[in-house]
Amino acid sequence: MTEATLSLQVRQIGKAACILDIEGDITAFSEEALMDAYTEGAGVGVKAVILNFTGLEYMNSGGIGLLVTVLVRANRAKQKLLAFGLTEHYQEIFELTRLDEAIGIYATEADALAAAV
Amino acid sequence: MTAIAQTWRKVTGKGQAAEAVAAPAEATVETTTIETPAVEIAPNDPLVAFLQSAGGAVDVEALELESPGVTALREAGVALVVPLISGGELVGTLNLGPRLSDQQYSTDDKRLLDGLAAQAAPALQVAELVQKQAAEARSRERIEQELKVATLIQQNFLPRVLPDLPGWEVAAYYQPAREVGGDFYDLFELPDGQVAVIIGDVTDKGVPAAMVMAAARSLLRASGQRVISPGEVLERVNDLLCPDIPEKMFVTCLYLVVDPSTGYVRYANAGHNLPYARTADGSMELRAKGMPLGLLPGMKYEEHEAMMSPGDGLLLYSDGVTEAHGAEREMFGTPRLVDHVADPTSGDLIDGLLTQLQRFTGNDWEQEDDITLVTLTRTLGSGVQNGLVSGIDVRFTLPSETGNEREAMQRVLDAIAPLGLEERRVERLGTAVSEAAMNAIEHGNQGRAEIPVEVEVVTAGGELIVRIRDVGDGPQATEVESPDIEAKLAGLQKPRGWGLFLIKNMVDEIRVIDADGRHTVELVLQLEGGDGDGSNGA
Repeated sequence: MTEATLSLQVRQIGKAACILDIEGDITAFSEEALMDAYTEGAGVGVKAVILNFTGLEYMNSGGIGLLVTVLVRANRAKQKLLAFGLTEHYQEIFELTRLDEAIGIYATEADALAAAV
Repeated sequence: MTAIAQTWRKVTGKGQAAEAVAAPAEATVETTTIETPAVEIAPNDPLVAFLQSAGGAVDVEALELESPGVTALREAGVALVVPLISGGELVGTLNLGPRLSDQQYSTDDKRLLDGLAAQAAPALQVAELVQKQAAEARSRERIEQELKVATLIQQNFLPRVLPDLPGWEVAAYYQPAREVGGDFYDLFELPDGQVAVIIGDVTDKGVPAAMVMAAARSLLRASGQRVISPGEVLERVNDLLCPDIPEKMFVTCLYLVVDPSTGYVRYANAGHNLPYARTADGSMELRAKGMPLGLLPGMKYEEHEAMMSPGDGLLLYSDGVTEAHGAEREMFGTPRLVDHVADPTSGDLIDGLLTQLQRFTGNDWEQEDDITLVTLTRTLGSGVQNGLVSGIDVRFTLPSETGNEREAMQRVLDAIAPLGLEERRVERLGTAVSEAAMNAIEHGNQGRAEIPVEVEVVTAGGELIVRIRDVGDGPQATEVESPDIEAKLAGLQKPRGWGLFLIKNMVDEIRVIDADGRHTVELVLQLEGGDGDGSNGA
């Protein structure tokens, strides 16, 4: 069961931002899928990359590690990394790991988009 | 020289009596003032042999023998020595000073004195014998009395009833030797619901050993109520015992703290015989080192852990068992005891062992030392017995393949569904289970699919416990690393280390147990009286 159970869709929102719609699991095995989607969405020089966690089924510490890697890349590219659609549980995990200090957390897509510009 | 010297002193007075007989009646007042000092004659003094064969009163003046005894007699002013012979043995002498009339003792005087000596000697010997026997009887009586006192102290300080532990069978056997040794054992509940189990042995026997045993037992009880850590309890008791314990005495002691709801055992040892557990895989030694109590202050006691699964039994014992001698003078020994523990067909841990011991020592064996046995057996299915609401006891194993942590999580969540826990707590437990299972798969079992990860879900003692067990071969994260996003961004902190941190924050308590070559992580949720929040805060 080492294959990725993640599907990602990349939505470009104008020139300012892109949204990565996550469906499934974020674990250490999601690296390739997530990085490819990131490259696709962020490559066009957006100011912010927004992660849509509405379809997140499961995330573990490996997945959190992966988000840190994404965060490193976004920081280097001087892009904001934002997120929305996290359940209460995963929001708590973001807080515990203090990921929420580096990734802006928003309740809805509209809130996240508003913060992107 | 004792017998003669003592006799001499006793006879001195009689010498004066003899003098009184010989002296005129009007001189009574004066005779009482005359004292012949005690004279000691060494048993190897030639005078002894001489007197023994003299055949009657001997004139000291006329003695042609030179010896320390003769000199002593002369210095003491003894004029006449009358040997007291009984059964051909010199039992004493009558020593007489010079006659008050300044005349020599006459032949009649001597005959009279010889007659008196012949009567006195056997009487004296009989009196001495009676005295000696009386002294022996008194000493025997004192020893018996002491034995009674020692037994009484001992029995008063052993638990009269053993605590009733649901899901456990607790038994103890104590048989003092005729000369009571210093064995003791104790079981008592701790304020947090765990149970302290103690076995010990004081060197020496009788009342002194019993007194030290009583003191040690009280100190152990008092410290046990204040501190849970077995190592710390022994450390305290050792420091308290050291200043007061008589020289050359010490106490061996094994101290265990058992969590009856989980089977988790913590223990430390102060030089006592190591206990053995009977498990499904044979016998297991619970090893721990430490100096006996009361020898040196400031000792540290290493603490170890073990896990008792349902069906496991633990035997604590004193050296009265292993050092019992058989008819051929060989010792029963530890290997025989270990074999008994390892073999479930050899009978009950206590009864079976006693049967073997009896077979080994034979029927006319006089028990050399106290024998103490204490057993703790976790009954099968005990995980359920003391559960609450609807008891849960679900166990399964999964191959160590990455991804199976999700399977573990799902099966645990299915298992706990009947508890109807709050959704948030269920989600948190799910994350904790998957993280712990992932650690077990990837680190503990090194991703070797053929080695299973064992998962147990039980309710016991007001807790929901999820145990995740691996073989513990790989490096285990033991320290919880707090996330530092800056450090992680700078590549200084590996994201990996967050697993344990997450687990810790997702459940009410986490216990990590390394025992029996296996690594177990216990995730605990309080079911009753829990904070209902499940978060330790961050």
